[in-house]
Amino acid sequence: MSIEVRNLSKRFGSFVALDNVNLDVPGGELVALLGPSGSGKTTLLRIIAGLEPADTGVIRFEGEDTTEQPVRERQVGFVFQHYALFRHMSVFENIAFGLRVRPRAVRPSEAEIRDTVMNLLRLVQLEALGKRRPSELSGGQRQRVALARALAVKPKVLLLDEPFGALDAKVRKELRRWLRRLHEEVHVTSVFVTHDQEEALEVSDRVVIMNEGRVEQSGTPEEVYERPATPFVYGFLGDVNLFHGRIERGLVKVGASELEAPPEWADARDQDAVAYVRTYDVELTPSSNGRSSIEATVRHVRAFGPVVRLELDRIDDGSSIEAHLPRAHYEQLAVGKGQRVFVSPTSVTVFAQSDGGKSARSA
Amino acid sequence: MTATAVLRPATTAPRAVTRATGESRLVRWTLIGTALVFLTLVLVLPLVTVFHQALAKGLPAYLEAIGEPDALSAAKLTLLIAGIAVPLNLIFGIAAAWCISKFEFRGKNVLITLIDLPFAVSPVISGMIFVLLFGAHGWFGEWLSEHDIQIIFAVPGMVLATTFITAPFIARELIPLMQEQGSEEEEAAIVLGASGWQTFFRVTLPNIKWGLLYGLILCNARAMGEFGAVSVVSGHIRGETNTLPLHVEILYNEYAFAASFAVASVLTLLAFVTLALKTFVEWQQRRTAAEAAGAEDISERIAS
Repeated sequence: MSIEVRNLSKRFGSFVALDNVNLDVPGGELVALLGPSGSGKTTLLRIIAGLEPADTGVIRFEGEDTTEQPVRERQVGFVFQHYALFRHMSVFENIAFGLRVRPRAVRPSEAEIRDTVMNLLRLVQLEALGKRRPSELSGGQRQRVALARALAVKPKVLLLDEPFGALDAKVRKELRRWLRRLHEEVHVTSVFVTHDQEEALEVSDRVVIMNEGRVEQSGTPEEVYERPATPFVYGFLGDVNLFHGRIERGLVKVGASELEAPPEWADARDQDAVAYVRTYDVELTPSSNGRSSIEATVRHVRAFGPVVRLELDRIDDGSSIEAHLPRAHYEQLAVGKGQRVFVSPTSVTVFAQSDGGKSARSA
Repeated sequence: MTATAVLRPATTAPRAVTRATGESRLVRWTLIGTALVFLTLVLVLPLVTVFHQALAKGLPAYLEAIGEPDALSAAKLTLLIAGIAVPLNLIFGIAAAWCISKFEFRGKNVLITLIDLPFAVSPVISGMIFVLLFGAHGWFGEWLSEHDIQIIFAVPGMVLATTFITAPFIARELIPLMQEQGSEEEEAAIVLGASGWQTFFRVTLPNIKWGLLYGLILCNARAMGEFGAVSVVSGHIRGETNTLPLHVEILYNEYAFAASFAVASVLTLLAFVTLALKTFVEWQQRRTAAEAAGAEDISERIAS
């Protein structure tokens, strides 16, 4: 069941939560809505579910307009951030709820309900806990009950609001792998909201990055990570260094240095630009590499694990650069705190800064 | 801390270890004493007096006073009025709490303030309001007498006055409870296909049942015990528009002290029952809350 969102807008008073949002979720995919808090991702999810009305715009499930359809007829599964389990019901009854409230004509028999619930309990690996109250479960278990409850009604689409937001790091990691596997088994079109880029990139088929009520970019995890469409996406996905300067004829002038811009900037007129360099796309050398390297001093080194993280201060303007080096490189380089190094970006993405307008992109 | 204190050699003089908020013995006993004297004078003594006076002429006289037709009819009327006012306020209380806690709308604060109005106004004034509205010279008086409907100095007026006086109890109890619980569970129920009524009966009601019961008990106690407002609109017709509290007053004014206190003791017993129920419900509420909180702790530990 595909989801189409067309020209959706929503305001809360003077706050624009969604600004003309368009979105396509192909049937059977697992899509992440990723963005900082206040970016409108949860509002979008709630409007898709029907829990919130849109000001303008259309939602279609499999081509069918559902914008005006009441929530209870939309057949969506919704998993709330704080689970919203019925606290006075057992786990079993929680999962059975969606079946029990059906009109008598379409309500399954007691035996069928039992079968369905037991199957779901098996699916979410909680067979033994059917009789427990939600308050007697751990956070991760509650989340799985919430998921089973949503799946019990055979939803057309599954919507998850920050599904792992309230869990600690270790459980989060386990649960998101588990969600990925579950999605491969159940294969229901799913949209989940998260502010955690790692989570979005690891779990989803497609990532939709939102900012200030707009969709910044949507694509596969590889696409959005390797070829960010806007400076915002670049900054939001992964650690990045920014070099403010001017671009002219394929070269970004940053302080006294000149970084080589990608080929499409070869004919660029002189203008303000920002060069984005991933923290691992830099080479450090003890001596200058010519004009393409930037001189800096080592402020801090964190040398645990396979990647060594260095914080550097630029000599020319004092701004900081972060560099992630493989341990072997770092050991070869043999620099310590306070020593001088030369930073050479190996891959640069340039966004021109027109006056106040949107940034043009090139990678 | 305690361990080091215990291990300290006996040669050091034992020092009185007081907490920062602790007081000296004298202050403590003065405070406790004052409280006890006050409680005795204001609460215990009157209670003892009620039963002492009620039984002053012996048990047979006591039973006779209670079993007297006027007393019985007053009891019946009290039950009738409470039987109408309490369910009305049950519906009103749930509806008001629902509106206030689950929706955002203009005038919400005005509504909350209005709910408190009966608490703020003196009961006698509350009664007067209804006389002014429905009395012979009131706003609707003429129309009512034309249609031969009597509200003031009759049972309908007493029901109205009691309903007004007891309106805040249930709503006041439910609003903070429902606000704290939020509306996520209701949203979850609706997404799962439940209708409005199904959501109410299967999700909302079970979550608020103890708070609701608590409000009901208090509402009922006040409905049965209300004197001022009911007195104004009653007309004091024996056997017709007399409730138990009004009956107590009449007997007392007629110098039938023993009978008066006998009826009063019935109301006092009702108060005891109310208190017992209230304590039980409070205990239940606390237990449910503690269970949830305790389980939360455990689950956190399991999770980590």
